[in-house]
Amino acid sequence: MNPKTLKYILKRVILAVFTVWVVITVTFFVMHAVPGGPFVGEKAVSPAVQKAMEAKYGLDKPIMEQYWTYLKDVLHFNFGPSLKQRGRQVLDIIADGMKTSAKLGLIAAAFALVIGVVLGSFAALKRNTFLDRVVMVLTTAFVSMPSFIMGSLLLILFAIRLHVLPANGSTTAGLILPVITLMLSPMSYITRLTRSSMLDVLGQDYIRTARAKGVSKGRIIFGHALKNALIPVITYFGPMLAYIVTGSLVVEQIFAVPGIGRAFVSSITNRDYTMIMGTTIILASLIVIMNLVSDILYKVVDPRINLE
Amino acid sequence: MNMKKFLSLVLAGTMTVGMAGTVAFADDAAESKALNVCLASEPSTLDPALNSAVDGATMLAHLFSGLAKWEQNDEGVLTIVPDAAEELTEGVVGDDGKVTYTYTLKDGLTWSDGQPVTAADFAFAWNRAASFDLAADYGYMFEVIDGYADIWETDDEGNQVNPDAKLNVTAVDDKTLEVVLSNAVAYWNELLAFPTYFPVREDVVADEAWATDPSTYVNNGPYTMSSWEHNSVITLTKNENYVDAAEITMPEINFYLSDDANNMLTNFKNGDWTLIDDVPTNEIASLKEEYPDEFVIAGQIGTYYVCWNVNEDILPADSGLEGAEAEAAKAEIRNAISLLFDRNYIVEEIGQAGQVPASSFVAMGMTDADGSEFYKNAGDSDEYDGYYNVAADALEDNFNKAIEVLKKYYEFDEASYTFTNFPTMTYLYNTSEGHKAIGEYLQSALAAVGITMNLENQEWATFLETRKNGDYSIARNGWLADYNDPICFLDMWTTASGNNDVQFGKGAHTDVAAYSLDLTDLGYDTKVENGTWAETYDVLIADIKSCTDNDTRYALMHRAEDLLMSTGCICPLYYYTDLYMVDSSLKGFFSNPLGYKYFMYCTF
Repeated sequence: MNPKTLKYILKRVILAVFTVWVVITVTFFVMHAVPGGPFVGEKAVSPAVQKAMEAKYGLDKPIMEQYWTYLKDVLHFNFGPSLKQRGRQVLDIIADGMKTSAKLGLIAAAFALVIGVVLGSFAALKRNTFLDRVVMVLTTAFVSMPSFIMGSLLLILFAIRLHVLPANGSTTAGLILPVITLMLSPMSYITRLTRSSMLDVLGQDYIRTARAKGVSKGRIIFGHALKNALIPVITYFGPMLAYIVTGSLVVEQIFAVPGIGRAFVSSITNRDYTMIMGTTIILASLIVIMNLVSDILYKVVDPRINLE
Repeated sequence: MNMKKFLSLVLAGTMTVGMAGTVAFADDAAESKALNVCLASEPSTLDPALNSAVDGATMLAHLFSGLAKWEQNDEGVLTIVPDAAEELTEGVVGDDGKVTYTYTLKDGLTWSDGQPVTAADFAFAWNRAASFDLAADYGYMFEVIDGYADIWETDDEGNQVNPDAKLNVTAVDDKTLEVVLSNAVAYWNELLAFPTYFPVREDVVADEAWATDPSTYVNNGPYTMSSWEHNSVITLTKNENYVDAAEITMPEINFYLSDDANNMLTNFKNGDWTLIDDVPTNEIASLKEEYPDEFVIAGQIGTYYVCWNVNEDILPADSGLEGAEAEAAKAEIRNAISLLFDRNYIVEEIGQAGQVPASSFVAMGMTDADGSEFYKNAGDSDEYDGYYNVAADALEDNFNKAIEVLKKYYEFDEASYTFTNFPTMTYLYNTSEGHKAIGEYLQSALAAVGITMNLENQEWATFLETRKNGDYSIARNGWLADYNDPICFLDMWTTASGNNDVQFGKGAHTDVAAYSLDLTDLGYDTKVENGTWAETYDVLIADIKSCTDNDTRYALMHRAEDLLMSTGCICPLYYYTDLYMVDSSLKGFFSNPLGYKYFMYCTF
């Protein structure tokens, strides 16, 4: 790797750390500014109990002091205990949720990528045939259909009418429907991306040259066209992977999947301060890292891209 | 490999994975004989001392054995029976009014790790649950035990005064537990069956995370926790070492953890789950028709109501009234407005879940001194129960009465039959379709007589804080009982209470001397005319808490509710019900008035 690339990567890493710090700071202060607190409930606890609880978790200290303490703890990977799920550590809860969300997301992303690229290339090669039109119509429908509608349709069909798959995402079999729901939209998007960029590449001079030289069709597609046609897919895939792996709240809710998305939203409603901070940091870091990786991958795929 | 081959391989792969999943699922269903239920999402804790949720209490009732428990007898009546205790003894009243109970534990009680359960475990658990250090939501459940007040005595800065204070609970020997109450309490046996009173062992709870994992979870009840997949499912397996194990018929229970009503319903409809504790509100009407035997509406002790901010000025600008006079006028106006609402419409058209129109704040289901319904004896009318007539045919009469009262204070336009100078108000509710629908109904009912009420919704935690701080004029409110004693509806309205959303005795209301109280006929010296809230209501609640005579105590509680309702700040709309769906194949299931569900005696 040349020094220029190294310098670029280093710069991007520093920027990423800075981004995460900004996220931590903004979240921390906005969270404390929002009305309500972790110990507020329909049945109010007595002021003495409230005070005892705040002292226990250090919430009685001045806000700046709490902020510095938190930053220090985060540097030591200490995210503290959950304020709502008493006795559990934030990191354990996140790890539990991430396991499920990541499993779900990685499978969905892998299927989306493979099927999407294959379908897209196929449609491009068979341009303007009946098959191409079918693929285009279906992918348009899947891209524009919100996941809660797709999820509900799949539930009605497979869980209630046919009764072949469970409606609850707590078992392995229960992950099939959420995976399909999660996969369809990015898969369709990748199909369309691949198709248009493939068409673009196939019209380029170097492809014509290769064809004129008598290179086999397979070599043209896999050796020359596909590699270049995938650049836009990579741009899309990196951030998409981050979002899909960090859990889709809607899909997790519909199928009752015990993932990180559900934990994140409930931590906000509960004002579980340490959980809010922990999940925000982890999710933000993941998205930042994924973006970084996809930027670096560009360079690998297409040397023409200037990282400066 | 050409394109077609590759594509077909990918498709084949996808299908294989799908098929494999389907097959695995079919196997799961075939071998499970366990009961699958879903009450709510992940419980925030399964430590009996820390739990304050109904779903948590249900699980704890299966995991722990307190001195007493709920049981359904052969006639289907719920009773409190001894569990870990040999019998539920009568208390001995001392000269100082304190009551001493002595309990003997049954033989052969063991923890799930094989160690014996001792009286000291109970004494430890109760002291822990009531302690300042633990600061449990339900720590106040031990308020009735001598010594509690000392533990929670604080100085001006809120610091504990007596760090060494303990509850008056003694383990006389391994099997004998002695507890002293400050005064006689009618619901004492019920408290013994309450999860906060369940025993825990000192060495077990020394690990703060003990209640979050089956490997560290040591309990003494009919079931043990065999697995807890967080946010997914908790599995309880029958504990063969439980002293009454022979009576327990359900070998295994899976508590699925979800709070999505639509997902619950899907799982119920396809037969995977036998009981679900929530249904989507907009499906209630069709479910009642589709599942007449499975759709259950059970009683629940709680009231849905609207509360006013007592400091909100609702008088016309030129009324000229001040202080106590103004407060009396406002009370009359608020009570008149309570008469404008059609509670039957609310429960039948909006609630649709068998709720009962409410005419009192202390909910239906609370018992009175003589065992009758407390709310039926409330108010002073012989014609109806409670403080208003909520019968459908009384609506017109109520309406006319309300108009007559309001005419005294506001300008009334006979032609349009509306009031023209009623100040505009805002109704605050927490974001939810159901609360919104009720808000819209109240708005339309007031608009019909020319009163403008805007609607404002807030997200839950924000709403709670706004309401608690009194930054509202009228707000949606609700209260569910913790135990069957009217005091849990009444002591929340004392000046210092954290649940005093109305702001009684706070702000401008602190010095308003508009209340009278005469308890001389009940043998008390208390006689106040034109006193403040602190001089009347707070005194009355203190008297109730120290009263040792059961009949007098209930009479005092009726007085407290009379005083509360006379302010008009509480406008009850309906008594809550508990909705759930249970498959008709399940036998032996019951739930108690607090909403705890019991599955241990079930069979398919």
